[in-house]
Amino acid sequence: MENIMKRLNKISVENIKLEIMRTTFGNRDTFLSQLDPRVLMFWYLIFAIFPWFIYDKIVLVALLAFVTFIAAISKVSKVIIFLLCFGIASEIICYGIVAYFLGGGLEAFLALIGLTMKLATISLASIAIFGNIDPERLSDALLSWGVPGQITFAVSFGYRMVPVLIEEYNNIINSFRLRGKSPEHKGFLYWRQLLHMLKIAIYAFYPLIFNTAKRTRTTVEALEVRGFSYALQNKEVKKLKLAYLKIRLKDIAFLAGSVSYVIFLMIIVK
Amino acid sequence: MANSLTQTQVNQSKTLMLFILAMSLSGLENLVAEIIPEFQIGPIELGISSFIFIPLVLVILFDNIWVALAAPIGEIVFADLILGEFGGLGEFEEVILLTMGLYLAGRLVKDVASRKQLIIAALVGFGFTELAGTMIDIGKVWIGIEQLEAVPGLPESIVALEGIDFLVEFVITGIIFGVLPTLYFVPRLYGKLEPMLGIKPREIDDSRNPLPIAVTIGAVIAVILGTTVAFISEMGINIIEWEADFLDKFGDNFIWVPIGIAALVAVITFILAKNGKTKEAKASQEG
Repeated sequence: MENIMKRLNKISVENIKLEIMRTTFGNRDTFLSQLDPRVLMFWYLIFAIFPWFIYDKIVLVALLAFVTFIAAISKVSKVIIFLLCFGIASEIICYGIVAYFLGGGLEAFLALIGLTMKLATISLASIAIFGNIDPERLSDALLSWGVPGQITFAVSFGYRMVPVLIEEYNNIINSFRLRGKSPEHKGFLYWRQLLHMLKIAIYAFYPLIFNTAKRTRTTVEALEVRGFSYALQNKEVKKLKLAYLKIRLKDIAFLAGSVSYVIFLMIIVK
Repeated sequence: MANSLTQTQVNQSKTLMLFILAMSLSGLENLVAEIIPEFQIGPIELGISSFIFIPLVLVILFDNIWVALAAPIGEIVFADLILGEFGGLGEFEEVILLTMGLYLAGRLVKDVASRKQLIIAALVGFGFTELAGTMIDIGKVWIGIEQLEAVPGLPESIVALEGIDFLVEFVITGIIFGVLPTLYFVPRLYGKLEPMLGIKPREIDDSRNPLPIAVTIGAVIAVILGTTVAFISEMGINIIEWEADFLDKFGDNFIWVPIGIAALVAVITFILAKNGKTKEAKASQEG
């Protein structure tokens, strides 16, 4: 119990900010981050769709193990894994309890484990892949698939902006709390306190909206000065921009290895 | 010629600005909502699933499809990809539903100063997304588990849980974090935020039909498409053997799910469109 409390205490806003910072800026030296972003996304698509085809529990366990291994070697953030496990566990338990009261019993519980394993496999694959793709490479991969340049730019810009925006939001909330007066009576189950915090959380968006609007305008103006919209429509520019994306032997080996593992599983079970 | 080129570029950069603004804000809003601890009993969350008022306010102020589209994309980029909750192809359904719900909300408002219109827009915008999402969720679990019928009690429990979840969501996210803050923010931001982006504030526009026919048809097609894709991704059916295997496995009833949802959307949009038209007709008679 003490151990759990210790872990829960570690999850604070500051910590989550650091984790997000690490996810969006860090992890440049892992195996996955060196691969071609298009190959990684294709790999993710395989592992996001394939589990739904399978009803065999042994294959699902093997798939989950494989994805867990990939996630482990790509240094996925522990807090995120913890949140994922916690969510899955509470979901299973709850469905199980309700089904039990409605007359299902243990069978209902077992039926849900398959579904949960599928979800866990997909989530882990997503964490491993998107925690390791550099935002710029991700947006270039999308661009090479024909997604409009505005959207791909927004994606990489957004990725970079998250930590800044969270920091700013946190600062606004802190200054609200410094200047404001929290309720004297906490109320039943601290409801006054909670209401006060929620109000601050909502009001804090007001200055944030203006700040973000100003920042967005500056960014877009800076982009347009350098001919961003014009360049988007120019095929030559796009070609030049995407020239560095190359699928090498390493990428092919990774993809082929994963696919043959899946096929191997299918053959063994049959 | 040169003039039209500059014109398109100006519009493009405005679109880009709106898109980035809406995306960063709704992404941040989602991330904050994820971080705030919530009291969760399995699938029922007694917490904030999102500060939905942010995209609602922006879409009401700007009435632009790009703003509506930016909200779900921001959610995917900021909250889902980073926290590893990306649902794969299932997100496709969310993008379509949320975009449509928000766009609907933006269209429903004709006069930004009218509180009644703001309330209706916020409720419809969120309610539509959430209701369709709940139905799809029920269908997903229903079909995702093999031999669900063989397990007594499970189907009922899932429907019951999802139903309660919808109500809780609607009250907490839809009203407390949707309607009320929208009423607070829209009058305060109106006329202040738009000039910062170099855009003219919206004017009172009574003559416009809230839902052109093209939008309605597009909406219905989009919902059928989105739901079907969501189902395909969730069930993992073999597309090549679509007809033979698929209907055997899941029964003929499955096909009614996307059609039913689409029909519901069609009915709602037609009712809304009709209301708009009768009002218009009245206004023109009086005038």
